Amino acid sequence: MRAVMARIVQATVVAAAVCSSLAAQQPASSQVTAQDLRDGLKNPTRWITYGGDYGNHRHSPLTQITPANVARLTPQWQFQTDTLGKFEAAPLVLDGVVYVTGPLDTGWAIDARTGRQIWRYRRDLPSGLIACCGLVNRGFGVLGDRLFKTTLDAHVVAISRKTGAIEWDTAMEDFRHGYSGTTAPLVVKDKVIVGVAGAEYGVRGFIDAYDAQTGKQAWRFYTTAGPDDPGHGTWRGSDPKAWEHGGGSIWVPGAYDPELNLVYWGTGNAGPDYSGLEREGDNLYTASIVALDADSGKLRWHYQFTPHDTWDYDSTQMPVLADVTLGGQLRKVVLFANRNGFFYVLDRATGKLIRGKPFIETTWAKEIRADGRPILLPNSVPSDEGTRVCPDQSGGTNWMAPSFDPALGLFFVTARESCGIFFTWKDDYTPGEAFRGGAVQRLVETQSSTLRAIDVTTGERRWEFPYTSQSWAGVLSTASGLVFAGGSGNVMAFDAKSGKNLWHFQIGSSLYAGAITYLVDDKQYVLMPAGTTLTAFAIAEF
Amino acid sequence: MSRTVAVMAIVLTIAFRPVHGRAPIAQDRVAPRADARPTKNPLEGNALAISNGAAMFRNRCAGCHGPDAHGFLGPDLTGFWGAGGTDDRMFDIVRRGVPGTEMIAADPLRVLDRDIWQVLAYIRTLGAVPATPPTGDAANGERVFRANCSGCHMVNGRGGQLGPDLSRIGSARPRAGLAGKLRGSSAFIRPGYEAVTLVTRGGERIRGIKKNEDEFSVQVMDTRERLQGYLKANLAEYTSDKQSLMPVYGSDRLNDIQLDDLLRYLTGLRGGDATRQ
Repeated sequence: MRAVMARIVQATVVAAAVCSSLAAQQPASSQVTAQDLRDGLKNPTRWITYGGDYGNHRHSPLTQITPANVARLTPQWQFQTDTLGKFEAAPLVLDGVVYVTGPLDTGWAIDARTGRQIWRYRRDLPSGLIACCGLVNRGFGVLGDRLFKTTLDAHVVAISRKTGAIEWDTAMEDFRHGYSGTTAPLVVKDKVIVGVAGAEYGVRGFIDAYDAQTGKQAWRFYTTAGPDDPGHGTWRGSDPKAWEHGGGSIWVPGAYDPELNLVYWGTGNAGPDYSGLEREGDNLYTASIVALDADSGKLRWHYQFTPHDTWDYDSTQMPVLADVTLGGQLRKVVLFANRNGFFYVLDRATGKLIRGKPFIETTWAKEIRADGRPILLPNSVPSDEGTRVCPDQSGGTNWMAPSFDPALGLFFVTARESCGIFFTWKDDYTPGEAFRGGAVQRLVETQSSTLRAIDVTTGERRWEFPYTSQSWAGVLSTASGLVFAGGSGNVMAFDAKSGKNLWHFQIGSSLYAGAITYLVDDKQYVLMPAGTTLTAFAIAEF
Repeated sequence: MSRTVAVMAIVLTIAFRPVHGRAPIAQDRVAPRADARPTKNPLEGNALAISNGAAMFRNRCAGCHGPDAHGFLGPDLTGFWGAGGTDDRMFDIVRRGVPGTEMIAADPLRVLDRDIWQVLAYIRTLGAVPATPPTGDAANGERVFRANCSGCHMVNGRGGQLGPDLSRIGSARPRAGLAGKLRGSSAFIRPGYEAVTLVTRGGERIRGIKKNEDEFSVQVMDTRERLQGYLKANLAEYTSDKQSLMPVYGSDRLNDIQLDDLLRYLTGLRGGDATRQ
């Protein structure tokens, strides 16, 4: 027995020596630091936040693929999931490995050179899930050697980047009451910041921060103002508890300004979606953008895009932070193409409106006043007879991420033209049951979509490319003057200055996510998640 | 909470809440309730339910069944009960849909049982148009169909495929809608059957129905039932036509008696052998 033990000890020592010797010859697995996250795309072998950088520009410095050679962009590999449902995630790339989440709480680590799977994660979901709008996920966050994600049963989990194993698992709320998690986390310093979806089920929305090491909750900000919160008086009407099931869900990640130490999150529609009698008043902080202190979660400012929303105009689009010259002055702003059809420029230190201008046809509001409030048009409120309003409930844009090219000063967004007949009726709140207070009939003949380039200094449209069907594609741009987007299953590349279509590839599925790009072995790849497939493109070598 | 709402809340609580203590979850809602749900509408005559049901009907049903439920693209609903239909049967139709027609199943996560009962409560308040006795000779109608229509439309496995399969058209369309279509209405063209005209760079002119399209190509079935895709870059002209490819059957081509017979035949097509129904 002693001899056996001795041999085991000896073998272990030898193995340790081999490991140690091997480790000395090879680069260490890189740890993602808070500074790395701040650096965004400075290291173009990486894509480590949902929006590429904390400002969510989704604009890569890579220039290997250009307007001159993009016609030779060719698929290099494809990865097919073994899961029904669709990608809505932004993949992360680090050290030559792609980390991506899929539908039904799945995730993979994949070789960024070849598309070969390294590990697979799949959550054992409970029965009776309630998630109104697709069993999807929008991606991982990363810090150290951990990945983080929200789950459909309203948890947030930390996963080992090396193995895909769960390292901590914290419940945000009770999924049986309509709460779910689909947003990608925003990781700031030592915190993982997330939120919950479920406004169609009468949830009370919130933004949560969790300690990246332990999973312990650090702070919570409720997106409907409770009795002790400023703004509670904006919940009036026949239901005194309306704020308790007033929506304001969080399902697309926010942005972060390290200098101001503020995180910016767009908040979802008020609930019930189409019925406002029970909740008269502005219904803060639904359909808004909130700027929170990243350390404490305290509200620094808010701006409400759609006061007293009765059109399901979630403001859960991705906020874009930019420094732009307006009226001869360099301004630190938030750019926000909203589901309600207006393109907003806000001062990101104060939340004051600089400009709000329609980027599609809107009939719910005439314009945005200088004080920031919209001027509503008559006959724009849902009714039991039906009210025609543009845009429809899916909005002028939605979760699909825009991109921003600072050199050109252009904001590229998938813009949807649409109108619908909005109906309202009385709904009673029951935990876990649909709570919409109405519905919308889409008017098919009004539906179309385009990729639009908006000049951020004027708010004017610079160019557009019309799609033949409603697109849900996110946008990516590059410093070489390219924009990647698409529609009708076509991944497309455009000249950023003119909007001229330069390349397309029919990928075989509608696009519900946006491409990302990365460099590995000095070769630039464009990676497109679509349907159940990831496709990596690069310039063909003949 | 108003008194009406309170009463309704009690009714709904009795009717729909699960008996166990914890909050209801989706699976609970679907499976047990399907068996336990009432066979008679618990909300019939309830004023708030009727008001809610009216708005829901306008939103979800009126587009096909008409604003007064007397039928448009879809059949008249008001005569359903007078013809022996039950709440239970109508509930099942709404929940499960009608296969082979545009009437889709209602997703239990989006359309609750109480929503369906509210819509039914509303429809029951609408005056039913007395059913007129059917006229026309179905057997002759089938001969008219074979002579004029089956080149493009299939019934029970026989016929062409340029137009929609009509094997269940009697469940999907009211008589008046079919008559309007035959006499020339292009008010509604089923998706996948829109007419297009293409002219190739070589001068070839192609008429057909559009099966699909994207920014760079279009896929059609031409009038000879040939499926083919075309690159838009290779076309000299490409137009989407407002008019259906279906010829107009005016009284010069189909007299009133022939039309009556044909409608008798078509309204009997419900997935089986129409001449025996």
